[in-house]
This record gives sequence, C-alpha cells and structure tokens, in this order.
Amino acid sequence: MSRADAKMSSRLAGVRRWANLPLLLTVGLLITYGAVIVHSAVSGFAAGEAMFQRQLMGVALGIVPLAVLWALDYKRLEAWLGPLVVLNAFLIVSPLIPGLGATAKGATAWLEIGGIRLFQPSEPAKILTIVIMAIVISQYKGVIERPRDVMRVLAFLALPFGLILLQPDLGTGLVLIFITMGMLLVGGLKPKYFLVFALIGVIGVGIVLKAGLLADYQEDRLLVFVQPDRDPRGAGYNLEQSKIAIGSGGITGKGLGQGTQSNLNFLPERHTDFIFSVLGEELGFVGAVLLLGLYLALLMTALEISASSRDLLGSLVAVGIITMWTFQIMQNMGMTMGLMPITGIPLPFISFGSSFMIANLAGTGMLLSVWARRSGI
Amino acid sequence: MATFREQLKPRYAALGIILLSVLGLLLFRAWSIQVLSGDRFAAAAENNRVREIAIDAPRGRILDRNGEPLVTNRATLGVTVSPTAKDDEDMLYRLSVVLEMPLDEVNERVASTREAALKPRLVAVDVPMSTVAYLSEHESDFPGVEVSVVPVREYPNGTLAAHVLGYTGEISEESLDSGDMEGYVLGDIVGKSGAEAQFESVLQGEKGYRRVEVDAVGSPRHVLEEAEPVAGRDVVLTIDLEVQRVAEEALVRALAEARADDFNDARAGAAVAIDIETGEVLAMASVPTYDPALFIGGISTKDWEALNDKDSEYPLNNRVIQAQYPPASTFKAITGMAGLEYGVTSTGHSYYCSGRWTGQGEEWSKFCWNRRGHGPVGFRRGVADSCDIVFYEIGHSFYKRGKEELQVFSRRFGLGSQLGIDLPGEVSGRIPDAQWKAEFNADYPEYRQWLPGDTVNISIGQGDLLTTPLQMAAVYAGIANGGDVMRPHVLKEVLDSKGEPVRAYEPEVAFSSEVSESILRTMHGALLDVTEEGTGASAFRGFDARVAGKTGTAEVAGKDDYAWFTAYAPADDPQYAVAVLLEQGGHGGAIAAPAAREILAALLGLPVEHVQATDVSR
Repeated sequence: MSRADAKMSSRLAGVRRWANLPLLLTVGLLITYGAVIVHSAVSGFAAGEAMFQRQLMGVALGIVPLAVLWALDYKRLEAWLGPLVVLNAFLIVSPLIPGLGATAKGATAWLEIGGIRLFQPSEPAKILTIVIMAIVISQYKGVIERPRDVMRVLAFLALPFGLILLQPDLGTGLVLIFITMGMLLVGGLKPKYFLVFALIGVIGVGIVLKAGLLADYQEDRLLVFVQPDRDPRGAGYNLEQSKIAIGSGGITGKGLGQGTQSNLNFLPERHTDFIFSVLGEELGFVGAVLLLGLYLALLMTALEISASSRDLLGSLVAVGIITMWTFQIMQNMGMTMGLMPITGIPLPFISFGSSFMIANLAGTGMLLSVWARRSGI
Repeated sequence: MATFREQLKPRYAALGIILLSVLGLLLFRAWSIQVLSGDRFAAAAENNRVREIAIDAPRGRILDRNGEPLVTNRATLGVTVSPTAKDDEDMLYRLSVVLEMPLDEVNERVASTREAALKPRLVAVDVPMSTVAYLSEHESDFPGVEVSVVPVREYPNGTLAAHVLGYTGEISEESLDSGDMEGYVLGDIVGKSGAEAQFESVLQGEKGYRRVEVDAVGSPRHVLEEAEPVAGRDVVLTIDLEVQRVAEEALVRALAEARADDFNDARAGAAVAIDIETGEVLAMASVPTYDPALFIGGISTKDWEALNDKDSEYPLNNRVIQAQYPPASTFKAITGMAGLEYGVTSTGHSYYCSGRWTGQGEEWSKFCWNRRGHGPVGFRRGVADSCDIVFYEIGHSFYKRGKEELQVFSRRFGLGSQLGIDLPGEVSGRIPDAQWKAEFNADYPEYRQWLPGDTVNISIGQGDLLTTPLQMAAVYAGIANGGDVMRPHVLKEVLDSKGEPVRAYEPEVAFSSEVSESILRTMHGALLDVTEEGTGASAFRGFDARVAGKTGTAEVAGKDDYAWFTAYAPADDPQYAVAVLLEQGGHGGAIAAPAAREILAALLGLPVEHVQATDVSR
C-alpha cells in the first residue's frame, strides 16, 4: 500500500466512522429516481415546472433537519420526553387552530400562517412520535411484560393517534400504529400481547364498519378493495386505472414521459399517491425491480444501523424509521396494485410532496445519528 | 451490553423476515401484473386512449329522369347533447324550453341507447339562428350541449313523389340483427322505404373514420389516423318530375270533385304511368301523401301517430303497389281476350242485353249496370259500353268448360303475382280459383265449393279478384306492347362521382302473355271505342291524341264505388300506359278518366286540361 493510498484510506475510514455511506448512497439514488419520475408525472400539468422546482426545494430543505439530527446525540432527547410529547401534540393539533390551518381533500392537515402554506405538521409528528415511543419503550430494557407497562406505552401512542384522527388523517394514524408495533417487537413486548392487539384490531375494524364511523369515500374504498370490479366507473375507477397503467408498462415500460395512462389523466393523483403507477407504466417491471432493489438496500442498511446501536434507544429509533418506511412502501405500492385498500399514503423519497420529503430526510438524519454513535468505535 | 445484543437477535430476524416478505410480495405482484398480464392491461390502456369516430359519408342524391333533383342533402344547424349529460335534469329542462320541444322528447333522445356510447345525441335539427345565438351566449349554462352542422336530407319539391322516394331514419335494431345490413352500426341513417330503402347500398357511401387519442374525460388530444368518407352515389330515377306533379294534382282534384259530387268519402287514390316498351315508371302517385321531411332528425311521436292513425287513410302506404282492389270493368279486357283466345266468344258473336241476366237460372239472376238493357250488342260494343251481360256470358262459358282458363290467362299478364318492381313492399293481388277458395275457406266447409257465380264475378273484375293499380297499368302496357309485359321499374341509372352513369337499368320482359296479334288488334279497337264512343268518350272529347282505355267502377262492400281508368296512348303508336284509381270516387268514366287524361296529356306533351265528364256505367 503506497503512502497516498494509505492516507486516502485513512481519510475514508475517518468519514466512515460517522457517516454510513451505503445509506447516503441509497437515499441519494432514491431521491434522484423519485425526481425523475415526478418530473415525468408533473410535466403534463400547467404548473408542472414550478411543482418540480418545489420538490427539489423540499430535498434541499430536508438537508437541514438531516444534518441537525445527525449532529445531535439522540441520547440527549431522553431528558426531554415531556416537552416532546407536548410539542408533538401541538404540531398535530396546530392545523385545527383557527387561523393556522388549511383544509385540502377533506382533511385539515396543513399549517398555514398569513395565507402561506408552510407544511403538513403530521409529517414531523411521525418522526417525533418515533422518538417519543422509542424513549418510552426503551425504559423497559427490552422486556415488556406487565399489563400496566403495556397500558403506559399505549397511552403514549393514544395521544398522537387520537389527535391525528381529528384532522382526520386515518392513513397517518395507521402509520403511527405500525411504527409502534415494530418498535414493540424489537423492544421486547411478549408475543401474547400481539395476539391481543390483533384481536382488538379485528373487533375495532368491525365496530367502525358496523357503526358507520368511516366517511362514505373511505367505506367505498374498503369495499372496492374487497371486490375490485364492484364499480369500475366509480370508486373502483382509480384502482382499475392504476392497474392498467402498471400492467400496460409490461417488462420494459413505455418510456419516460410516454405513459398514456398518466399523461391523458386516466391516473388520479399521479404525482403523489399513484406515483408508482407512473413508474410502472413508463419504466415497466424493470423499473419496479430497480425501485424494490433500492428499497431493499435502504431497509437492510437501516436494519444494520439499528443492530449496531450502542443502546436500545438507538436501536428502537432506527426500527421506528424502518417500520415507518416499510409500512408506507407496502401500503402505497400495495394499493396501486390492488393489494391494499386505497389510502392517501405516499411513497417514501419518490412521491411529490416537500413536507413528506423533509420528514423522510429527517428520518435519515436520525439513522445517521444512531450510526455515528454506534458501539465499537 | 452483550446480553442486550443477544436478546435482540431473534427480534431482528423476525423484523428482517417481515421486511423481505413485504418487498417479495410487492415484487411478485408487480411481476404478475406487468409480466403475466401485461398484454391484457396494455390492451386496456390502448382502449382507454384511442377512440374511433366514424365520419358519415354524404348520402347520394336522387334525381328524376331529366336530372332534376328529387332528394338532395343540405347542411343544417343541429343541437346535440353529450350522453354524459343525460342525468342533468335541470339543464335538459331548460334546453327543452329553449328548443320549444316537449321535455319527454328531449329526454328520450338524449337517453337513447341506440347510438355508440360516446356519440353526441342529435336532439333537434333546423334550429333557428336566434336559438343558436342564445345557446352560444349561455354556453356555460348548457354543459354537454353543442350546436353543430349536420347533413340532412332535403326535398326540394316538398311532398312530391314521397312514396317513390321514401324516407330515411335511424337503422332499426331488427335490421341490424338480421345480418343483411353489414357494416352498419346503431345510429346510422338508412333508407326506410321507397327508393331510399331500395337503393340503400348505392346511396349510402363508405364511412370515413378518425382515430383520436382522448384523455380521461374523453376530450380528443390529437388525431392518430384519418380516412375520408366516400360519398354515396347519385341515383337517377325514371320518374318525370312534371308528369309526377300533374298526376298528383290530378288525383287531388279528382277526389275534391268526387266529394263535391256527393262521394263524401273520396279521400284516397293512386295513379301510375309507365313506358310500355321499357317498363319505366314516369309517375307514381298515391294520395293522401306525407312529408318525408318529417323524418329528418327523427320523427316526433305525435307526427308518427298522426301518420298511422286509423282515420288517416294511411298516408305512408304507396297505393300503387301496396294496395289491392277489385279491378272491375278494367278487367274486361282480360276476360274479352281470354274469351277470344279460347273461342267462347268472337267478334261476330251477338248478345242480347235486356238489363237482366239469368244464365245461371232465374233465382240467380244478375243485372247489367244498365238496367234498361243495351239491346243487341256485339263483342266490340260490349267492351266499349262495358255491357255486363256480354261478360257474364263469357265468364259462364269459362265456368262450364271447367278448366279455369280465365285465371290461367290472367296470370299470363302478371296478375296474381308481383311484377318485381324495384320498390319495397309490392303486393301480389289475387286471382281466385277453386284451390284458393277451398284453402281460404278451410274453416267454412259450406263456402269451399267453387261456384259458377265465382267465375262470372271474375269476368267483370269483381268477386274475390284483386289487383294493384300497377298491375292494371302493366296489363294495358302489355296489350299495347304486343303482349309482353315489361318489368316496371323506377331505377334509370346510377351515377359515379363525376356524374357519369355507371350502371343503367336493362329493360326486361316480366310476363310474356303470348296472345295472338289478331286478338290484341281486336281488343285495341274495342278499347279505342271506349274513349271515342263508349263509357270514356265524355272524358276524352277534344283530346289531341287517340287513347285506348277502359273505365271501371268497382263495388266494395260497405263503401262507395271505386273509380278506375286504365289506358294507353297514343293509340296508333303506343308509348305510355296509365292506371288511375280513386277510392270511393264514384264512376270511372266520370272521375278517373279525366284524371288519366291530364296525366296522358303531360306524358304526350299536350296541354293539360281539366274536363268535366259523365259516366254512369260500371
């Protein structure tokens, strides 16, 4: 090894101490991939170019929380549990405060001050909830057995979950539940409790459906999911058009910008919830495999980071991020292909939406924070 | 810290398995949709994207024999409504007010399932400019409503020759299902009757199409492929516009005159003129008539009901070919020639008419129309004066011979069967014989027997005998044409896009009667006597051409007499044959012959004059 090489490799080793290069590379590739697809999806809109700029702006803005959280020792957050819970609750409720909120598509999910739309507070709330739940669960040192401990953990979940339903944003609520379940799995909840949760879940869904607590459109979506050809012109239309888009892409796709289903407006919400349908139509099965490959790399790297954590808190924070992404990937891609009911959950790093992009970059920052303080360095 | 790591290992394994299953499931699903079912979804996407819009070809025109237009096309302003607006009740109500149409009719047309799903429904045509202006000013109040230029049929001569021309309308589901309308789709405009229907395949050009890419709401984005329609061909008819006009006016006037003469139910009639050597139909008139323009853009329920009302005399019927009547004395030419041929009478034969005939015995005595009697009459005067006694005798002789020779002879002139004119709906008339009677009265054994009176009744054109006006014109054309009945036809030729004839009708013999020259000559002389000194003389006084013809006055149970006149002219070099029938019009010589005289005048280029005539014969 020459001196120059040695110097180079020692510098690289220095970087590697605190930076997880595979994670950064994978996230970078996903963002690039997403930007390409979003560009194609919005190019048919009148404001397409502005929308694309906005998306890039989201990426740039996301670097800030990423860097801050990376630099921050997550361990120091433990002392702030109370204020974090309050901040989280405030964030979720903020759009409902008169003068601060804006309503779009039936949910009051935007923070708006002086007529300027800022961001969707539910996005940072996801990250905050991960941190809060990780702190709470880690307090039990890897074993959660007593019912009162379980109740306490669930109480911390119940607050943000209950508040998010006020917007109402069922999708984000589900994300919070799945994140918590993932963390409880690694955090040492006894398996029997998962069975109890599953039972409660089934009964709960039954009650909600019977009592008609869902909005009509939500119920339609569920029924269509169970029976896709129920109403191909109505509620089943979006699903049908999405499947046509993805399926018609075939193996190699119609080419970037050549998707007829997306360009001719057959696809609803093509730049946000149905971005994968555009990807599937224009880049085909090859494009889908590439995306799933990047996600596999992302999640496995994150899993490695989680396992490398010096303490349970770091592991749990990482697990929270992993389950958040996994659930969103499954829910979003699953719904575009008829595997899951339709909910408004976007695809991490790919879908249009700057709040969402910023939150995902913040999550990346959390992972890097855990990695930078891993054990054995 | 080692314990914490050991503790987590199985939990990470579980989490890892979950992650891999999720990604694996998504991968499998993408493979199944994109690789396994890719073709099906690709077809679905194509089907979403591409719409084929048919471009209707302009329909061929219909011209008279001199090239005068009878049916043409014109562009008019029509209001169409997109089928997607069919549930917009409020808008459709306002539209019905603006268009001054009943709401029901607007709804019916918009909701029509008889057209391609996306095709805008034509709701109104010939919309006044003020309405068009209103609709364009209030465009946003009428979503889905458009004003467009639509080609429709135009009838420059109004109702003239309506029965020959026929009308057009949307193709019916039955004819689509029948399979002989290949290449047509629901909503296509086709000929429904008359020449429009008969020559549909020539008149209907070839549709063009435009393949367009549409977006999710169906708005066209751009044209992918286009093919121009090929216009339908023009059809030239044998009809002569002027003769047709005279024929129709003559019928209307004759009926009015009959009504003035106390034949109050004279409301319907028919007239036809044919070229004896070619079978060309120069005029074909049927009264009452209808306005084919009523069918443009779809006939309204009210108009349709009016045309089919029980008291309407059924104006849609072409009485020349679709109605059958007892021919009465016009049939005596057939009876007479048959009698001469089979030797049951002769030019030298002398009859005595006392006004009453007892040939079948006292209790079955029959009367001549002239109750006072014609006294001694020969064959020729029997025809000229239409003496019934002469023909009772001939008929009775045929009955006694028992060979149904009169019926056989009638059929040689085409009676009892279709002449095969190139118009839809021709009926065949009826030549009754023993077999027919037995079958007809199968359920009434007491009426099945063929009786002497049956043959005797036929011999004067009554009884169960039925003919169409066209058939009687063809009989007289046959007599004038050496015994050959040419097939009557209305098609002269078909023109190509440059106006050159591509297909001309070839005249053909429909029925060859094989009647001898001398018999024809005898009948010719007798028929000349009819107009010169017989029952038709009063109608033809002062006419500049010699006419061979025959009057007829048919008895129809429960109705006033039906007036007939059949003839050919000029007698010395016959060219045209005509038949005129007036339902409940009275006596042939008084009411039908003057109408025939006007038509013959028009045919021969003579001044068309209306004359008052008298006739009391049958």
